[in-house]
Amino acid sequence: MRRAAVCVAACLVAFSVHAAEPAGDDARAWLERMSQALATRNYDGLFTHTTGRQTETMRIVHRVDKGKSLERLVSLDGSGREVVRTSEEVHAYLPDRRVVIVEPRGDEGSLLKALPTPGPKLDRYYDLSVSKGSRLLGREVRVIDVRPRDIYRYGYRLWLDEETAMPLQSIVADGAGNPVEHIRFTQLQVKDKIPARDIEPTVDATGFQWIRTGRTLAAMPQLPTNGGWRPLRVPPGFRLVASRLQPIPGSPMPAQHLIFSDGIAAISIFIEPGAQTGPRPPETASMGSANAYSMSVQGHVVTAIGEVPAATVREIANSVVPVQGSEVPADSPASSTR
Amino acid sequence: MTDQIREQLSALLDGELPRDEMGLLMRRLDKDSELRRTFGSYALIGETLRAPGGRIAAPSFAARVSAAIDEATPIVEKTSTTRRGDAIQASRHVTLWKRPMVRTGLAAGAAAAAVLLFRPDVTPVAEIAATPANTFAMSASPTPAQSQRLASYMVAHSQYSTPMVRRNVLSSLLAADPGITRVSYEMGEAP
Amino acid sequence: MKSREPGDDAVGLPAGTEQSDLELVRRAQQNERGAFDLLVLKYQHKVIKLVARLLRDPTEAEDVAQEAFVKAYRALGSFRGDSAFYTWLYRIAVNTARNSIASRQRRPLDYEAELSESEQNNVEARLKHDDTPEATVLSEEIRVTVNQAIEQLPEDLRTAIVLREVEGLSYEEIAAAMDCPVGTVRSRIFRAREAIDRALKPLLD
Repeated sequence: MRRAAVCVAACLVAFSVHAAEPAGDDARAWLERMSQALATRNYDGLFTHTTGRQTETMRIVHRVDKGKSLERLVSLDGSGREVVRTSEEVHAYLPDRRVVIVEPRGDEGSLLKALPTPGPKLDRYYDLSVSKGSRLLGREVRVIDVRPRDIYRYGYRLWLDEETAMPLQSIVADGAGNPVEHIRFTQLQVKDKIPARDIEPTVDATGFQWIRTGRTLAAMPQLPTNGGWRPLRVPPGFRLVASRLQPIPGSPMPAQHLIFSDGIAAISIFIEPGAQTGPRPPETASMGSANAYSMSVQGHVVTAIGEVPAATVREIANSVVPVQGSEVPADSPASSTR
Repeated sequence: MTDQIREQLSALLDGELPRDEMGLLMRRLDKDSELRRTFGSYALIGETLRAPGGRIAAPSFAARVSAAIDEATPIVEKTSTTRRGDAIQASRHVTLWKRPMVRTGLAAGAAAAAVLLFRPDVTPVAEIAATPANTFAMSASPTPAQSQRLASYMVAHSQYSTPMVRRNVLSSLLAADPGITRVSYEMGEAP
Repeated sequence: MKSREPGDDAVGLPAGTEQSDLELVRRAQQNERGAFDLLVLKYQHKVIKLVARLLRDPTEAEDVAQEAFVKAYRALGSFRGDSAFYTWLYRIAVNTARNSIASRQRRPLDYEAELSESEQNNVEARLKHDDTPEATVLSEEIRVTVNQAIEQLPEDLRTAIVLREVEGLSYEEIAAAMDCPVGTVRSRIFRAREAIDRALKPLLD
């Protein structure tokens, strides 16, 4: 099994050297080509990231090494923040806060996991279409529209380079077509090789506080699949795709982490044992196309976060309840092994 | 009559058209492609006299630019003031899709508390006024612990997104923090 | 009446250009798309000429020029009139040319240093080398056609348009030079353009 996985990964890498097959008028095929390109190609580019307030320039360097996807993303003219995905971990450097947040990589870095395919029922929730676009910076492009059929999710307009299927430009918009986030490459090199040093962080993290989650996931207590909590309501088409534990720095108890996806968008729900102080008022956060909503439920802090509209995460968070009759409630000391 | 209009066009090119004549002329230009062609030709004449030779634009170029602008709507703040504190500029807020698939019933800026229920069929039972798509808000100034928690969650969450969406989410993480003041980057000027 | 001095104008443009451009920009900032379209029509050739000179492959000039205009449109909100519009557009075009995509198949982008004004005005030396034969022939034909048409104009029309386009004088200045009312100047310039446009039309259709 393992050997087969390695072989497939190698084949994927070899495949990426040549131009992939044309996808014609099949929007879904274009999306798959795009995901594949983003995961398997080596590239180095500058792009602008625009939301309602700000436009910022960022650099992304992506390198595939031994079947693993490595990446560095850095803000060039704003916060100076930088995110590096190494083969084992994700490091988020926040110079403005003088911290580095370290998370283990959930996907184990494998290429195979980096290529999610939209489920067969995608058409029920999104209307996909493809058309020829105006040339962008000398490249022929196809424009892919992913229009949500309801207000619970966002839509996308993607300008894909015809030859490589790399997204040269993308706009995230709500169901009514109001733009939320706009990303445009101003410079992009798709290369055969990217030097390893280009993935190394450039932030000088001397004196920064390293916030590691403290223990590896393997040492986490095992809990029932749903971790004892579930949302009563999620938008149509969203399915539970993963369930894990999220260690909380400075706390012995992890949060439960449920991940739902409709094939395009993902929503995470974190249920964290609450602090000793009483319930807090709900909090909202909106960061580009990602929205988050936190609220207290029975002494726990429930946070829903995802690339969906604010109302959606609010509604999901509001519907999270403990599973009836679960053997081991989430925050019982009996459930943890130390 | 057409002569008079084209003469106005000629004066417009020279910056010698009285302002009160501009409005009507602009509206005509919007509708009349031959008038636009004529304006382009007058401009070409001047160019040729001043700096002859070199590459010139194909006749279809201006239309191409217009189409390219239509295709990619910019995101502009709802309101903005110029640095000199002049009157608030009207925003340019254009929707991506001409015929929305979804009846949204948005009330401008409000966040009404009607309950939204997800249903297996597509239409929502009740609709709410969603918060405006391009606002950035934290309900109160976040404590560093809150920001870090959120950042941790975002990083953990991003691992389950598709590659492009993950890039969007991580870009937002890089960009977002209400505590930071920074100069907004002006497009077109080299950093 | 403002007297012109060398270096006053934005890269060699006629008097009054700055004001009329600012008016168009102001309208474009108020959502009048037509105003921006006019700015495109006005500067398209200048931008393409400029960009073609900066790119190693001049056939990309139209794509890069298009990108520059789209960028300028998007950034209109941040244009405050501190400089002339064309100066601002010029910088955007230069930056866009520098930033265009280099794919594996093409040789890397090789841009030259930013051109000085005098270099920019001195076109002849570069023309033959950079352009494809077709583009060169067309612009040469245009030059010849325009000059021939001007030669055939009645003298008062010819004087008016040359004073305007080549000397960059305002209508008032031309009226003083030709000792006639401003309205006559406006009419003469218009009729000159009409005649030249008639000659050009078959070339460009």
